[in-house]
Amino acid sequence: MTAKGADELLDASGRLRAPWRRVLGSLLGLGVATLRDRGAELERACAEEGAALLGGSGPAAWRCDPIPFVLSETEFASLAIGLAQRAELLEAVLADLYGPRSLLSNGHLRPALVYPNSAYVRAVRTTAPERRTPPRHLHLYAADLMRGADGQWCVVADHTGAPAGLAYALENRRIMARVLPELFRSMEIRQLRPFLDVWQDSLQRLAPQPAGNPGLALLTPGHADAAWFEHVILARALGCSLVEDDDLTLRGGALWLKTLRGLRPVHVLLRRQRGDALDLLETPSSRSCGTPGLLTAWRDGALQVLNGPGADFAEAPALAAFLPQLARVLTGRELVLPTAPVLWLGDPGHYAAFAADPAAWRILSAGDRTPPAARDATQKALLLAVAERPWAYAAEGLRVPSCAPCIGAGETLEPRPVTLRLFLVWDGTAWRPLPGGLAQVLGPGEAAGNTRRAGLTKDVWVMLEEGLDIHGPPGLPLPQLPVRRVAGDLPSRVADNFYWLGRYLERLENTARLVRLVLAKLSRDTLLPRDLPDMAALIACLADAGVVSEELASGAGPGQLADLLARALAGEAGAVARLSGRVRDLADTLRDRLSGEMHATLAHELRRLKGARVLLRPGQRAVGIGLMHEFAGEVLQFCATVSGYAAENMVRGGGWLFLDLGRRVERAQAVAGQVAHALDQRPERLEAGLILALDLCDSALTYRARYLAAIQALPVIDLIVADEGNPRGLGFQLATARHTLSSLASEDDAVIIATLDAALDETRLLMGELADAPLHPSTAALVAHLRSIGAQVGQVSGAVMRRYFALLPVTFTDGLFR
Amino acid sequence: MIYTVRHVTQYDYATPVDLGTHMLHLQPRTLSWQRVLRTGLLCDPAPAAMRHATDCFGNAVSWLFLDTAHPRLVVTLEATVEVQSPASLTAAAPTPGWETVSRAAAEGGQAAYEAAEFLFDSPMAPALAAAGEYARASFPAGRPVLEALTDLNTRIGRDFAFRSGATTVHTTVAQVLAQRAGVCQDFSHVMIAGLRSLGLPARYVSGYIQTRPPPGQPRQRGCDQSHAWVACWLGAEHGWMHVDPTNGVLVRDEHVVLGWGRDFSDVSPLCGVILGGGKHSLKVSVDLEPERPDTGS
Repeated sequence: MTAKGADELLDASGRLRAPWRRVLGSLLGLGVATLRDRGAELERACAEEGAALLGGSGPAAWRCDPIPFVLSETEFASLAIGLAQRAELLEAVLADLYGPRSLLSNGHLRPALVYPNSAYVRAVRTTAPERRTPPRHLHLYAADLMRGADGQWCVVADHTGAPAGLAYALENRRIMARVLPELFRSMEIRQLRPFLDVWQDSLQRLAPQPAGNPGLALLTPGHADAAWFEHVILARALGCSLVEDDDLTLRGGALWLKTLRGLRPVHVLLRRQRGDALDLLETPSSRSCGTPGLLTAWRDGALQVLNGPGADFAEAPALAAFLPQLARVLTGRELVLPTAPVLWLGDPGHYAAFAADPAAWRILSAGDRTPPAARDATQKALLLAVAERPWAYAAEGLRVPSCAPCIGAGETLEPRPVTLRLFLVWDGTAWRPLPGGLAQVLGPGEAAGNTRRAGLTKDVWVMLEEGLDIHGPPGLPLPQLPVRRVAGDLPSRVADNFYWLGRYLERLENTARLVRLVLAKLSRDTLLPRDLPDMAALIACLADAGVVSEELASGAGPGQLADLLARALAGEAGAVARLSGRVRDLADTLRDRLSGEMHATLAHELRRLKGARVLLRPGQRAVGIGLMHEFAGEVLQFCATVSGYAAENMVRGGGWLFLDLGRRVERAQAVAGQVAHALDQRPERLEAGLILALDLCDSALTYRARYLAAIQALPVIDLIVADEGNPRGLGFQLATARHTLSSLASEDDAVIIATLDAALDETRLLMGELADAPLHPSTAALVAHLRSIGAQVGQVSGAVMRRYFALLPVTFTDGLFR
Repeated sequence: MIYTVRHVTQYDYATPVDLGTHMLHLQPRTLSWQRVLRTGLLCDPAPAAMRHATDCFGNAVSWLFLDTAHPRLVVTLEATVEVQSPASLTAAAPTPGWETVSRAAAEGGQAAYEAAEFLFDSPMAPALAAAGEYARASFPAGRPVLEALTDLNTRIGRDFAFRSGATTVHTTVAQVLAQRAGVCQDFSHVMIAGLRSLGLPARYVSGYIQTRPPPGQPRQRGCDQSHAWVACWLGAEHGWMHVDPTNGVLVRDEHVVLGWGRDFSDVSPLCGVILGGGKHSLKVSVDLEPERPDTGS
C-alpha cells in the first residue's frame, strides 16, 4: 500500500489551514529543541501518572505528543452535528431491536446480523408490568473518525457500551497545560471542564429520584482490567464511588453499596463492565460476574444503568454497514457524516463485493472490532472460515488516514497518520460534544479504529475563531441542586483489603524476627542441652506462624533446620515469598487508595526484597547462616519502611485505621501465643523462659534499661503483657485496637469492644495473680491466661470481619435434580 | 386431559443463608393447546420481595429476594392445567423439504424473524459439527422436514441410553454424543445442536410428562420428574412441532409445558445465588396427577 493520506496541515487548495497556522507559529517559535525537551517532560508525566495507576510500559503505554491536533470551531461543530445524528440513529436502532424488532420483521436486517451477537442482551427484552417507558440505551457515545484522501471525515468505529479514552483526553489536557503553559496563555482553546459539568448535571438529573442527593457509582471490573486507569480518573472527575461487583447488593428492589457505615443507595450506575456481565442470574453466558437481581432494579426504574445493558450491540461493524439505509428507514434522512466503507459478509450482495477483491478489505468479526481469532491467523485459514460462516464476519475497506505533525527523532516535525476519537453525552434533551478529544497516532501497519487503549496520543484543540460565535444547544434550566458531597464512605471491600494488608505486613515482620532468633541460636557451634527447650518453643512459634511445618522441624538437627529456614526465607513457596506476594497483590488492589508515592515506594521496596531473596538461591547450595541473617534483616527493614511511610503519610481515615487494626490484631495474637510457648516450660526454667519471652517481644533492651540484669517474672510480664506504652507488648496492641474501634464506633460495635475489654481485663487479672506470688508464679496459670487472651483476640478478628466486611462466598445453585 | 402439578424444590443449607436471590421459570404457560386453570407459587420462608416479568420468549419469570437468615428454602409450584395435543399434524403429513425451511429461516422477515432467534449457538447447545453429522443421516437432500425430524427423534430415542447420573447440569453436547448416554436435558441439547447445524430453528422446552406405573401397580406420588423436549420450526405454514427425543415420540397430551428458550440455561426452573450457607443439599419432588376423566369431555 503506497497510498498517501491527506495532510492535516493543508486545505484542498494546498494552503496551511488557519487554526494550524497560529498553533504552529507559536510552537515553532519555541524551537524544535525546546519542543523535544517539553516532549520528554510530557512523557515523564504520562509515565508517572500512568504507572501509578496502570503499571504499564512498552509501546502500549500512554504517551502524549507535545504537538496538539488542531480543529477549527466550524469544522468541529459540523463533526459534532454529524455525530449527534448518528448517536440518535443508533439509539433508534437499539430501541427497535430490543422492542418491536420491526427492522427484522420488515427484512431491513437479517436475523444473523442480530441474534448471534453476544452483545445483544436478551434480558433487556424482558418486560416488567411496572415498567412505564422503556429506558434509553445511550448516554455517553464516542466515535473514531478519520479524514480520507479526499479530505472528508468519515466514521470508522462506534463506541456505545462503555466508551473508552475520555480519561486520557482529560489527562492529556491537564499535563499539556502544565508543560506548555505559554501556548494556553496566547491562544483561545475551548475548555473541557464545562463538558464534565454538563455530564455531572445530567447524571444528577437522570437519577430515578431527582430529589435529594443521588448515589452515583462507577462499576469497574477491577484493578486487573486494562482500562482501570480510566475508571479511577473518571470516578474522581465525576465525584462518584468506584465500585466492583462485590461492593454491590440488592435489597428491597434497590441497589446498595456496602460501606463501613452500612448500606448506601446507588441510583445511577455508570457501568464499565460488559452489558452481559451485570447480572449473573439473567445472563446465562457469564455466570461468574455481576450482581444478582441488578437488572430487576433497572427494569423497575429504581436504578439507572448507563449506558444501558444492551447498548454494546451498536458497536457491531456489521451494523455500521447498514446505517445509511437504516437512517432513511427510521429517520427519513441521510447521514450527514459518512461511514468508512464496511461490508457485512452475511449479506449476499456485500459478500460478492468482498469476494471480487478480498485483498482490498480487512476482515473483522461481525460483532466487534477485535481481530478474528488466532486459529484464523493465516489469510487462507481466515478466508475458509469466512466462507463457512460468512455472517460471523465483516470487512472494512483499507484506507489511509490523514497525517498530522509529530515530534520525531530528527530536527524537523514528522507527519504521521492520525485518527480522532470524539465524545458526546446526552443531557436529557440533546447530545453535547466534548470540545476536544483524543487523537491517536497510528504506528506502522496499525489500522484505524483499532481496539488499543492508548499508545501515542495527542490532545485535541478546538480553536475559537475570531468574529465567530457558535452556540451549542441551549442548556436546560437546572433545578436547584443540593450540595454534592464526594462519596467518602469507604467500601467494605477496601477496608477488608487494608485490614489484610496490615495483617500480612505484620506476619512478614514476625516471620523475620522469629527466624533471626533461631538463626542466632544455630550460629553457635553447638547446641547445649539447656538450649533445647528454648529451641522447641521457637519451633512451636515458627509452626504457629506457618513458617515451617512442626512435623518436619521438631525432629530436625541444626543442619536440617537451617535448610528448612533457608527455604522459608528464599524459596518460591516459602513464607517470605508467599507473604510478600500477598502484600504485593493487596497493594495493587488498593492502588487508587494509596498515594502515588506510597504505591511507588511499596513497589520499589518489594522489587528490592525480591532481588535480595533471589540472590540467596536455596537448593543449589547450602545457604550460609550469616547470609540468611542478613536477608531476614532486609525483610525487617522492608516492613519498617512501609510502616513508617504509612504512619507519616496516610490520612488517619478509614483506610489507615483498618491497616493499623490489622497489624494490632495480628501482633496481639502472635505475642500472646509466643509468650505462652516461651513460658510453657518446667518451673526451674522460668528464668530462661522469661529471657526468651523478652527476646520474642524485642523488649530485652528496654528491660535492661529499666531493671538492669535481674530477671524476675513480675517486671518482665508487666513490660510485655500489661504495659500499654510498650509498642511490642500485648497491652499496647489491645489498647490501640480498642481505641481504633471506638473511633469507628456505632452501637453495633459494642460487642466487639466488649470482647477487647474482656481481653484487657484478663491481662489485669493475670497481673494481679502474679503480684500475689511474684517469685514463684504458676507458669501453667500464666500460659492458660495468655492462650485465653489469644482466643479472645481471634474472636475480635472474626467479629470485625463479619461486622465490617461480610464478604461471604457466593454460590450459584441450580434447582434441578439429576 | 387435566393435570394437577405439584413441584417442590427444597434446599437445606449447612449454615443459614443470609441473602438469597432466585430466578424462577416455574409457571405453566398458556398456549393454544394448554389452558392454565389455576397456578400458584409458594415460598417458605416468605421472601422480602418478589418480582414478576415476561421474558423475551414469552415465559413468565419471577424473582425471589430473601434477606433474613434461613436454614432451609422450600419453593412449591401448584397448578392445574388442561392439555390437548399440540400438533394437528400426524407424522405422515406432507411438509416442505427441509432445505426450504432452512432457507426461509435464514432469510428472516415477517414470516421467520421470530423463529430465526432459535437458529444460532446458545451457551448449552452450540451448532456443533459432530451433532450435525449425527443429525444429517436423517436429512438426505429434499426429504420432507417432518419426516426427517421424526426419524431423528426416533434414532435419538434408540441410540442414546437413559441413565440418571451419567451427566450433570454442565455436561456438554460433545460429551453426551461421545458417551451416548444421559437424561432428557442432554438428548434435547443434542437434537437442538444437530438441527441448528442444519439451519433449522430448534427450541428447548421445559415441562413435565405423565409417568405410567408398571401394569397392575398404583401410581406413586412424588416420583415424577421435570422433563425436557424439543420443538422444531417447520416453516411459516406449519409452525413449531414438539417432539420428545427421550421417549422417541411426538408430543401429545401427556406433556405439560412450563416454558421454552434456546437451551436449558434460558429456562432453568429455579436458579439462584446465595450468600453464605456452606454446603447445601437439594431435594426435588414432582407430582403430575391426571384428574379422573369424570367430566366426560
